[in-house]
Formats: sequence, C-alpha cells, structure tokens
Amino acid sequence: MIVAARLVRDRRRSLLWWSVGIVALVIFTVSLYPSLKGEESFNEVIEQMPEALRAMFGLDTAIPLTSPPGYLQGRLFGSMLPLLLLVFGIGLGARAIAGSEQDGTLELLLANPVTRRAVVVERYLAVVGMLACLTAVFAVSLVVLAAPFGALEDVPPTGLAGAVAGVFGISLLHATLAFGVGAATGRRALALSSATVVAVAGYLLQGLLGLSDAIRPLRFLSPWHWYLGRNMLAQGVAPDAIIVPLVLSAVVFAGGAAAFLRRDLR
Amino acid sequence: MTDAAVRTEGLTKDFGAVRAVDDVNLIIDRGEVFGYLGPNGAGKTTTVRLLLDFLRPTAGRAVVLGGSGADPDVRRRIGYLPGDLRLDPDYTATDVIELFGSLRGGVDRRWVDTLLERFGLDPGRPVGELSTGNRRKVGVVQAFMSRPELLLLDEPTSGLDPLLQHQFNALVREVVAEGATVLLSSHVLPEVEALADRVGIVRKGRLVAVAGVEELRRTARQRIDLHVAGEVGEADVGRFRAVPEVAEASAEAGVVHLVVEGSVDRVLKVAAGLEVLRIVSREADLEDVFLRYYEGDE
Repeated sequence: MIVAARLVRDRRRSLLWWSVGIVALVIFTVSLYPSLKGEESFNEVIEQMPEALRAMFGLDTAIPLTSPPGYLQGRLFGSMLPLLLLVFGIGLGARAIAGSEQDGTLELLLANPVTRRAVVVERYLAVVGMLACLTAVFAVSLVVLAAPFGALEDVPPTGLAGAVAGVFGISLLHATLAFGVGAATGRRALALSSATVVAVAGYLLQGLLGLSDAIRPLRFLSPWHWYLGRNMLAQGVAPDAIIVPLVLSAVVFAGGAAAFLRRDLR
Repeated sequence: MTDAAVRTEGLTKDFGAVRAVDDVNLIIDRGEVFGYLGPNGAGKTTTVRLLLDFLRPTAGRAVVLGGSGADPDVRRRIGYLPGDLRLDPDYTATDVIELFGSLRGGVDRRWVDTLLERFGLDPGRPVGELSTGNRRKVGVVQAFMSRPELLLLDEPTSGLDPLLQHQFNALVREVVAEGATVLLSSHVLPEVEALADRVGIVRKGRLVAVAGVEELRRTARQRIDLHVAGEVGEADVGRFRAVPEVAEASAEAGVVHLVVEGSVDRVLKVAAGLEVLRIVSREADLEDVFLRYYEGDE
C-alpha cells in the first residue's frame, strides 16, 4: 500500500482545505434553518414550481421545505453537497493516473518494483478513501452542528445514513469515470471533461425527462434520478440509489484498469 | 554467464504510421557498458521504454535480466534514469529516495549519503526549486541508490556540468567494476566513448552497426581547422591532401579546413611547415561516424 499511502500524503493538504470548505457549508446551512422554519410561504413557492425544476433539486411537494428533510435536501443534498463532492472526486480521479502520467512522474514510479496492476488498484483505493473521508467529514459535521439549530429533527438516522451513502455513491461514480477514462487514455483533460459532461448531461436529463409523461420513464438513465428521485431523509433508504452507482463504479474501474494494463504509457 | 543482461529479438515499435524502432536485435552482455548512440529521434528512448515495459512492442520481444521488464522482480534489479526526467516538483530528494527506497524494500542509507555527498546535493529542497543540473542529480541518485545489476541511462549527463560529468563517469566505472551492466544512450560520441566497451549505432529506429569503441575511435573522422598567419596557397592544401589520413582539405582566408580519418600525427607534421596561430578541433562528428556505417549498410 506504499503507492496508495503516498498519494494520500500528497493530497492531504488539498483534502484538508476541502474539509474546511464542507464544514463551512454545513455551518452556514444549518445556522440559517431556524430563521426559515416558520416561513410557510416557502412551501407555496415549491408548490408553484414546475415539476422539472423541483426534480432538479430533489424536492417533493409532500415534504415541506420548512421541515428539516425538505430544507436539507434543497440546500445541501440536492444542490451544493453533490456539486462539491463531484468536483473534488472528478479532479482527484482524473489526476490519479492520467495526471501523473502527463506530468511524467508515473513512468519513474513504474521503473520501481511495482506492477501496473498494483499502481492502478492502489491509486483507485486512495481516491475512494479520500472521497469517503470528505463525505464522512460532511456527515459528522452535520450531525454535530445541526443539533443546536434543530436542523436534523424528524430525520431518522437510517434516512440520514442512506442520503449520505447516496451522495457518496453518485460522487464516486463520477470520480471513477474520471479515473477510468484517465487510466484508459492517459489524458487528464479528456478524463476531466468526460466525467463533467456526464455529470451535467445526467443532471439536465433527469430534469428535462420529467417534463412529459411519455419520456419520463427514460429518467432512469440519469444517475441523478437515482439519487434525487427520492428524499431519503424523509422517505427512508432507497437501496438501489446506493447500490447501483457502487456497482457501476466497480464496472467502470475494472474497464479503465484493464485498458491501462494493456496500453502503452504516453 | 550464459544469459545476456539485455537481449532483444526483432524488437519493433510503431507509433501509428511511424516506425520508431525497427527490427532491433541487441545483445548486451553482463558486466559491459553498452553505448547506444544515435541522433535525437532515432528511437533510443523508445527502445529503453520498451525494455521497461512502458511500451509494448509491435513485433519481437525483449528479455531483460532473463525476464520481462514488467516483472517487479526484474525491475528491482534495474536502475533507470530517463532522458526527460520528471519529478513531482513538491517532492524533495529525500521524498524521492524514501518512496522509491521503500518500493525497493529499503535502501543502503550510507550508500545514498555517499551519493548525495559526491554530487553535492541538498536532499531537503523541493525538486521544483532546483536547477536543471541539480534535478538531474536527483535522477542519478535514485537510479544508482539500490545498486542495481542493470542501469538503463538515457542521455545521463545532459544538464550536468563537466565536473559532475566526471563524477558521474567515475561512478559508472565503479559500479561496472562491481559487476553492473550499463546501457548508456546518448547522441554525443565523447560521452559514450569515455565509458562504453561497445557501441550500437541507431538511426531511424534501426540498429545499423555494433562496434567496439576502439574500432569506432580508429575510424572516426575529426574536423580540424588550422588558423594560419598569412594566405594559404593551393600548394599548402595539396600537401595536406597528400597525407593518407586526410579525407578532405580546403582553405579559405587563412583557415585550412581538414577532415582527418584516424591518426592526426602526419597532419601535424605537415602543419609544422606553416605558422599556425590556432587549432580548432571538433569532436569526431557523429554524422560522419554514421555515414561511414551507412555507406556499407545502404
């Protein structure tokens, strides 16, 4: 695990700053909750929104925005949180193989007694671990900081755990895509852009496909629909929203790693 | 020892339509310093990267230390100095040594310290802050630190000043005396000449000739310009032409241009008849060395 440990060590400063950012986001969000709690008019705003727009933030008319599950879904789980985790994960994933290959450091590493297989596996585990770590920082800071503001009232622990696992799943899927494309091609820019395009296209798709009943079933194509289709904070754990991205991540990683083992280094 | 340190059989590598390495059959015996000589872009780096399994051959194969460059047990016994050395700019030399050392199952601390001292390298500074020459030293240290059996050195002294080149050459001689094998790729003959036992000449991906360095030196041409006082007459040039070792002779405005093949002894004796102000001798021109081999080859 020397290769994995070194990657974590190289990225620890970046991870620290991202953690600070995530904690700041949590503080900012939960501390605003008390002032919004009594504002019933917010719920009317949601009711008047087109459904596609509501779907984009994972909002549901049955769950008032002024309740903790509705508020946290709209302000964190359905918006800023996945955005931040995706940016972190995609950047990390693209850098892990393709980035170090393009800056030329991968080759010298591979001149040492370490197989390509070990490098690709260890670096992926490091990416997964760091993403999990940042997600855990979020979860812990939410549990600790939400209590004084009552922002987690009526949220069952299983629902919270499910939502955290869900956001980890969707960020891991996109981070893995960046990692896999990078491992398969050795091109960092391609890895970054393909994962970003999939993220943006998937996000728009799950909103747009909700506009008409005829195309609505196609929404299952978007990872965002799996994630935002159900507010796990209020409606309980949706196992497929967690399992499907994890399984897909494993498949994408296996494909990218297989290509990496066969190709020439750039 | 029956097994060569490096053996390639019909090794070929295409990059799209470009054939970078073309049917190379190379044998490097254990304990020798093999100079791999060719102009930039001849396929030297590609050959080395094929040996280390960074690239996969289009055809043919390479056997390194009896195995494959993909095998960690083989790589453990190889030290590699890339021509285009890239290190993480945030790493210090200590980081590099620790990381590669732990991958290699630990290093001999005293040997590493000796190397650092010999090259006058401060191991605590980030690589990104080092000059090109100092960065190159980090590359040299990491290549030699595990006392490898085989050293693959790609343009090793580019960026090192003459004093350090001297240090480097001494280091290579030392490890070879202890039994190491060295593949030394270079585009300059003197670098190879100083260390190699045998030289392979590559051009456009093909290994066009393998010769002992002595033989190469004997046949190598050198260019000599004699700056003389006063005008040089056609008769003077004629006297130079009469010397068997002189391949070409011409004169212009007080300068005699000569191309000499082999010993310059008789040339100097002829020159003694002129008032020579300055002698400019250029190292044996690689192109000329190559040309001699192409003449026979193509």
